[in-house]
Amino acid sequence: MSLIVAENLAKSYGRVVAVESLSLTLDEGSVTGLIGPNGAGKTTTIKMILGLLKPDKGVVKVFGQNPWDNTAIRSMIGVVYEKAFFPAHQKTLEYLQRVCRIFGVSESRAMEVLELVNLQEASDRQIKALSAGMLQKFAIAHALVHSPKLIVADEMTANLDPQARSELLDVVLQLNRDEKAAFLLSSHILPELSRVCDSVAIINRGKVWAFGKLSELYEKYAVGIIRVSTDSPYELEAEIKKLNYVKEVNSDIRGISVTVVEGKEDELYEDVPKLAKKIKAKILGIETGSASMQELYRLAITAKERK
Amino acid sequence: MGKGKPFLEVLASAIHEDYRFPFLEVFAFLYAAGTFLFASFGLDITATGTTSQAMATANETIAYGVVSSLLSMPLFIFIILIFKNIAYGLGSDLEKGIIQTYFSYPLKRWGILTAKFLSALGVALLLFLGLQISGLYILAPDIILPQLGTVFLTYAASLSYPLLIAGIMFLLTLKLRRGGITLVVGIVLYFAMSMVSGIFTESPLPLQIIAAISPSLVLQQYYAGSLGDFWAPAFSEVLLYTGVSYVIVALVFALGYIYFSRRLNL
Repeated sequence: MSLIVAENLAKSYGRVVAVESLSLTLDEGSVTGLIGPNGAGKTTTIKMILGLLKPDKGVVKVFGQNPWDNTAIRSMIGVVYEKAFFPAHQKTLEYLQRVCRIFGVSESRAMEVLELVNLQEASDRQIKALSAGMLQKFAIAHALVHSPKLIVADEMTANLDPQARSELLDVVLQLNRDEKAAFLLSSHILPELSRVCDSVAIINRGKVWAFGKLSELYEKYAVGIIRVSTDSPYELEAEIKKLNYVKEVNSDIRGISVTVVEGKEDELYEDVPKLAKKIKAKILGIETGSASMQELYRLAITAKERK
Repeated sequence: MGKGKPFLEVLASAIHEDYRFPFLEVFAFLYAAGTFLFASFGLDITATGTTSQAMATANETIAYGVVSSLLSMPLFIFIILIFKNIAYGLGSDLEKGIIQTYFSYPLKRWGILTAKFLSALGVALLLFLGLQISGLYILAPDIILPQLGTVFLTYAASLSYPLLIAGIMFLLTLKLRRGGITLVVGIVLYFAMSMVSGIFTESPLPLQIIAAISPSLVLQQYYAGSLGDFWAPAFSEVLLYTGVSYVIVALVFALGYIYFSRRLNL
């Protein structure tokens, strides 16, 4: 069953087109990532899904219903906004207990969710006294109070340190495994999405450029990629580019992703160590088909632009 | 799950924020001080008009005078409180995104707005009227109790214009989502009316138009005729102007409710 079905959504702010004919679905129990650069339309899409924005065109259904001012849907969704705001002068535990009463769940759940995000020590603190990271954790606890079937999170880990990020992603996996909660997570931190997501929608310029299971997307866009790990990626990239069977080379701080003409993979395996020796670079590893999420994102965008 | 619970919890949360210590205590003190210190039981209403006062009975005029004297300072304090609550209670909640958080609760938009209004206006009004009526009952029961109609009418006419400004501030808040600007506009509008109503003393028409949104002027003219002798409204006109002013107030708020419920994109 699809929890979210969005068809041909469009939304403009004056002359600025934020979302244009965007379609996606989210199935029960899945963890779907919404990835894209700033201004791609992720937040606008999420707001339309949550019934905070009315689409100019298209239809969005959540649990089969229109989300605009729909209280039944709100009981089944947990929401984490990019910038979390709560009544500032209330204490964290007291406010969550209030939220428990709003959703008709036991007040003991308030402490449970605080513990889940490791915020129990701040239970007596006013919300305004929380740090940015703690506030984000609090927002996640707030979203989990009523054990929703679907959690929609916009840049959920934006304000968190790496350890807190990792812990939260564990919470996502745990909730997905144990409570079959589905997630729609928007993020620009791609490695963390690859850790938890089973599907990904790549959004760019207000449209879904690629959407599907991660494995399918890798197969579609990342086939024929060879990842070279080296201590001198930028110098080695310049050498690899000179090889006539190389279609595309992209490097980052940890290595180089190389796309070659079909059937030339073995040649690259032979040539790369020679080139490295020439420029005195150290090769740490060569792997086929091991593109990062970042790479997948770039490839999907490039493929679409070429079309 | 009952529908009342989320509403009451959002209301309690809004009250907690709008009246956190020491706001409620300070305003209650100011109301009480204003009510009792500014009470005046001498008839300082000087009739410059000719016919209006003749229409009103002496007892009604005395009751109007007593209520007006008790109203003066507390009404100003009430206005400050509701303007602050609309601008910083609703405006800042929209600006910061707290309304967005409320929208994740199983409560209709109009329910969230009603909870915010009950906190911003309802509690302030209860506090104001509670202390005023207590003051009147303690200080002048023999004047007030036989003239409850006049007392009610005086309050209704006096509160209409501040409520209209609050309604306009509410609409502005929805559009601008900036509490500070809304507060400035509200204060400017309120004082603009005080100045404008003092300018038109030659012809009744401008005053009649202004009275449709500020019926305390027509009441003042009816009981005291203090704005000049060019207009002597009948009691039915007082009621009509008061009624019209509340229809305008209701329309402004209804417009805001409809926009909030059906159109407001966050």
